Parts: sequence; structure tokens; C-alpha cells
Amino acid sequence: MKNGLLQIAACALAVGSLSFFAGCKDPSAKGGEGGTTAGTSGSGSGASASGDTIKIGLVASLNGEQRPWGVDCEAGAQLAVKLFNEAGGVDGKMVELKVEDSNSKPEEGKSATEKLVGDGVIVVIGEVASGITQQMKTVALEAKIPLVAVGATNPDITKDGQGLISRVCYTDDLQGPVMAKFAFDKGLRRVAVMTDKKLPYSTGLSKTFVARFKELGGQIVAEESYQAGESNFGGQLTRVKATNPDGIFMSGYFNEVGPMARQIRQAGMNDVVLMGGDGWDSAELISNGGDAIVGGFFCNHYNDQEDRPEVQKFLTDFKANNNGNLPGTTMGALGYDATALVLDALKRLAAADKEINSANLAAEIMATEGFKAVSGDITLKGTNGDPAKRALVVEVRKDGFVFNKAYEPSEVLAK
Amino acid sequence: MNSVLPLMAGIQLDWFSLPQQLVNGLVVGSIYALIALGYTMVYGVLRLINFAHGEVFMLGGYTALLTSYAMGYSPDAIRQAFAEGREVTSSPLNLVIMLLVAMAVCAIIGAIIEYFAYRPMRNQSRIAALITAIGVSLFLQYAGQLFLPSNPPPSVAQDVNPYQAVYTKVFSEAVIGEGGTVIRPAVEVTITQGRVIMLITVVVLMAVLTYLVMYTKTGRAMRAASHDFDSASLMGVNVNRVVTATFMLGSALAGAGAMMLTTFEGTTLQPFFGVLPGVKAFVAAVLGGIGNIPGAVLGGLVMGLAETLVTWLGYSEYKDAVAFVILILVLLVKPGGLLGSNKVEKV
Repeated sequence: MKNGLLQIAACALAVGSLSFFAGCKDPSAKGGEGGTTAGTSGSGSGASASGDTIKIGLVASLNGEQRPWGVDCEAGAQLAVKLFNEAGGVDGKMVELKVEDSNSKPEEGKSATEKLVGDGVIVVIGEVASGITQQMKTVALEAKIPLVAVGATNPDITKDGQGLISRVCYTDDLQGPVMAKFAFDKGLRRVAVMTDKKLPYSTGLSKTFVARFKELGGQIVAEESYQAGESNFGGQLTRVKATNPDGIFMSGYFNEVGPMARQIRQAGMNDVVLMGGDGWDSAELISNGGDAIVGGFFCNHYNDQEDRPEVQKFLTDFKANNNGNLPGTTMGALGYDATALVLDALKRLAAADKEINSANLAAEIMATEGFKAVSGDITLKGTNGDPAKRALVVEVRKDGFVFNKAYEPSEVLAK
Repeated sequence: MNSVLPLMAGIQLDWFSLPQQLVNGLVVGSIYALIALGYTMVYGVLRLINFAHGEVFMLGGYTALLTSYAMGYSPDAIRQAFAEGREVTSSPLNLVIMLLVAMAVCAIIGAIIEYFAYRPMRNQSRIAALITAIGVSLFLQYAGQLFLPSNPPPSVAQDVNPYQAVYTKVFSEAVIGEGGTVIRPAVEVTITQGRVIMLITVVVLMAVLTYLVMYTKTGRAMRAASHDFDSASLMGVNVNRVVTATFMLGSALAGAGAMMLTTFEGTTLQPFFGVLPGVKAFVAAVLGGIGNIPGAVLGGLVMGLAETLVTWLGYSEYKDAVAFVILILVLLVKPGGLLGSNKVEKV
């Protein structure tokens, strides 16, 4: 009896954990579960603006693993709304930003979106990560509300978007090849890849990197996986070291990249070039990785040392509204861009004397052309919601990230 | 003889790196063993699986970090020192203090959990106690989300700890061909000073534990309670004190493990930090024979080595699955665990 109980508990735990690890692999496979959307304005035509304010929604990871990104994203969005309202709003009508926390979790991002829809927002902005945005998408499609993703780079996000789903960042279809080309141009020929198998973002990014790097003529000498939350990478790194790589591409988030970089150096791989994607983008990367990560390169959306007027204006405004602090991550700028893009579309809608509702707003967002965003010009007209944006490669220094090289999509994706 | 390349083509036994992988496995396994001891001791005395043990481990990591901040190694202080060009290095004494504070705080937390959550459930059904344990575990995780920072900057933890040196013993040099192709990989073993200290500390802690359990009065009372809880209490053993002591001992070991992991391995803390190590250590405890102290140590080492060897075979993506495969196999073949007794229990 006693042992029996233990066995049941242990088996339940084992099975539960297995399905947990496996289940995290591909949230995109799940469809909408149906019947969960709170009623908005009648028969699925989306909400329309009524009352004194126009409500727009933001879902951000204000807690959990992606907190540094979520907090910046919210600050950027708040800033955009504040500046917009100070400039007079939409014909004197103020815009109200409703914020919900996703806790860095896909399911909670979904319920947060449902709550916003119930509150009567006409558009939802977010999220900073692909897994969460996938779930938000199902709600947006059902409620027929436009969704503007902030930092979701997985290519599938905008697939079958019904003209509702767009984003302000580049996709992994660009990001992976950019780093592949950068690595090849730098003279690297033997690159090892470390993938966080728990993240759709990481597995997707590794795939596009590997494909492009091989096309260019480089050799992928090792492909190893790990899992978010793991702390000792000795086994994988020993294998990597045996293949004598000249570079290592780490496609996961900064949380694990920092400690991994330390262990790479401790294992004696001192001259190997470390590279990654925008998952590295956080001040914590440097505190977690220390000297080991300094000299590494990653792909990012913008850099605060660019001298474009949009960047400098954004930084000045951000500082003025956040007690003199600058955003710690790129998501400050992207959150601002996504919100400003929505507000710009609202303004155009009002200028054209069209009714302000979700359907019209969605069409207007998709008609965006040459919008001057902090992270570069955004054109959504004629696309499926993915703007063709340039990507930057930045270098990690002890005191921050320094611009190294910019790539236009055309020069990376051309064969 | 080109046994490393291509890595992608199924299993390629890379004998050259086996010594290094065994060392890696030993390091990972020693931490699992340390956590597994907490599971096994509590089970031994109370027949309760303390699922909150992983969370105690997590809190130990935070305690060590905050202690280091309090000793003047806060991120701000370190940043300032770097800006002024000062070299910051903590003394071994700082690390000892971190270790002791983490162990003490964890011991207290363990005792508090036992007193408030498990003691009222002691005479309830075992399943009720088990569910309480899961509840405590979730409570601590989510309370941690509310009150503890995610990814706090490490401090003494890494940049300034005095054990950064790396020892390398090369048995044979690598032979590298044209374009960096590996003709024959090196045979070498690399280990950081921090890991050496970690291994030594684990051995010392286990020796202390063995002494406490085998040669002290409380230890004898513990063994008596483990043998037969009710009879022990009839014989005048203060079972409440024994249970508290058991929780404190187990939790202190978890605290030590967390301190060393964050300090020497550079692991970043977050409120779910204890989940994965906790689950693996639980499997280790069951593998060794839950309730059996040497079994927990053996189980931890076997788990660590098994994981590393799966990686060595080239299947790092199945590294975590292997823990559960082992668990299922043990439960099927030898439910008592490797060192557990297989006696038939009266129902």
C-alpha cells in the first residue's frame, strides 16, 4: 500500500513532466479552442469606439522570465500614448491604454487578451515573445480585432492572419540568415549551434541559421540542445569543444546564454566567437555572462547609438518620462513603435472621416507606408503583416551593446 | 579513427572525451545527490514526499545571493568598483558566510513549512499530505514571482569569487588538420577550481550528515522514528523534534547545493529555479531507494552520469527524458530502488 502510493505519485509526476517538456515544443500546432472569447459588439464585427475615450490594449510580460522585456515594452507603449494624447489625441478624443500581464506564459497571454477584448479595446498590441503571441492570435482572429505584435519573430505569427495580424519587428527568416552571413563574412567556417529545445523561438532561429550558413559554404560542426532552467552545460560543451569550432551560435534567451558563455570559456574555448539572436538583448546578458560574453555578437532591431532623429527623440522622451532611465532592452523601442504605429493609423482613420472600429483600423494598419519608427521605417502595405526591415548586428561590450553592422533584407536573402 | 565527425550521423562513440564527460557527470550528480538527501530523509521518517523541497532549494539560492549583496558585493557596488578601476575579489570567508547563511535560512524555512503545512496533516491520509506538499510548492513558486526578482544580477556569485582558476590535464594533444578539421581530438580533463571546491564540500557535508545520523542521539531518534514512527514515540522519542530536525537537515543541504550552483556554475536565479533540479533529485532519491541515505547519494550520481552519458552519445535533446525513463524502469523492475529494501508491506 505504502509503496503503491509512491509509485502512483512518481508515475504521475514522470508522465506529467514528460508531456510538459514535449508539449512546449510547438504551441503553434494548437488551434483556437473556441467559445472562449468574451462578447464584444454583437456579431463578430469587432469592437467599435464609443464613449469618451478610445481604448487600446497591451499584453506585456510584466512578470516571469521575460520581465525585463515586458517592463520596457509597457514603458514604451505608455510613452507613445502619452505623447499622442498631449498632441491632442484623435480630434480631441483621448486614447486609453489598457495593460494586462501575461506572466511570460502563453496561456495567460491568451486569457489577458480575452480580458482586453471583454473590456472593449479596438486593437491589441503585444507580445515580446512568439509563444505568447501565437496564443493571443487565436483570440484576436476570433474577435476580429487587429493584433500588432511587438517582438514576436517566429515566421508563423502572421500566417493566415486574415489581414488582422501584423508586427513591427523582423522575423527569424531574416534574423538567422543575417547572423549566418555575418559569421561567414567574419571568416568563420566551423560553427557549433546550441539550441534551447523548449523555445519555439530558439529552435526556429537555429534552423534558419544552420540552413543559410551551410548554403554560404560554412560547416556546422555540432548541434547540441539544452533546456531553459538548466545550469550545467558541461556535457554539451565537451562535445562542442571536441569539434574544434571557431564560432558558437546560441539561439536561446539571455538567461541561459550568460552562464553558458562562462562555461564555454572555463572549458578552455577562449577564442571562439559567440553569436546569437535578439534573445540576447538585455542588460542582464552582461551581468550574467561577465567577461565571457564580452566580444560576442547578436542580431538586434535597433541600437541606441544610432544618430537617426527618431532614435534620439525617442531616447530623450523616454528619459524624461522614466525618471531619467533609458530602456534596458530593445523592447522599449519596439513597444513604442507598435503603439505609435497603431495611433498613427487611428489618426489617418479620423482624418479620412471613417468610423473608428476594429475592422477599419485593421485595414488602416495594413495600409501603413513608410512609417518612421524608432527601429527603422515600417511598411505593411502589400505585405502579409511582416515589414521588410533591416537588422543590426551589435557587439557586446562591458558597458553595453555597440553597433557593428546593418543588413538590408535584400542583401541577406539574395542567393 | 575519425570518430567525432560527422556528429549528426547517429551514435558516434567519442572515446576521447569520455574522461571529461565522466567528470561532468560527477559534478552534476553531486548536486542532485545533495538535494535528493532532503527528499529521502523526510520520506524515511514521515513517508511523505516533500514536493516543496525544490522551492527550499530555490530560496537557498536567493538567500546566498542576498547575503553576498549585504556583504558589500551588490551589483551597484561592483559596477562602481569597475568604473573606478578597482579590482574586486571576495575572500573565501565571504563564500563560507554565504554557505552558512543559506544553510541556516533554509533549515529555518524547512522547519516552518513542516510546522505550518505538514504537522496539521500528519494524522490525515497520506494522499492529503501529498497534495499539501504540492500546494506548498506552488505557493512558494508564485509567492516568489511576486516578491523575488527574476534574473537578479549575480554578484560574488561569479565575477568576484576567488575560485576562477581552471585546471587542465592534457593526456594527449589534439591533431588539427587543414581548415580546422579535427583529425584526432585531444584527450584532456578540464575542471574549474569552483567545481573542485563544490565536490569537496559535498563530500564533507555527507560525512557530517553520516556522523549526525549514525552517532548522535538525535540521529538515533531519527533512525528509530524511521523504523517505526509510533513505537518510537511510545519509547519516549520526541517525534516532533525528530521531524523538525529531519526537515532542517534536509533543507540545509539543499541550501548548500543552491549556494554552490549559483556561485560556481553561474546559474541565474528565478522563482522556478528549483523545479527542474527538484524533479531530477526526486527521481534520484527513488532510484537509490527512497528513505535510504546512501541510496540517495548513489541515485544522484547515477542520474548525473546517465544524463551526461546520453549527451556524450549525441542525444542532448533526450537528456531530460532519460531521468523519467530511469524512474519508470526502476519502478517496474525494482520498486524499492537500487539500495532500497524490497520487503513486502502489510496492507
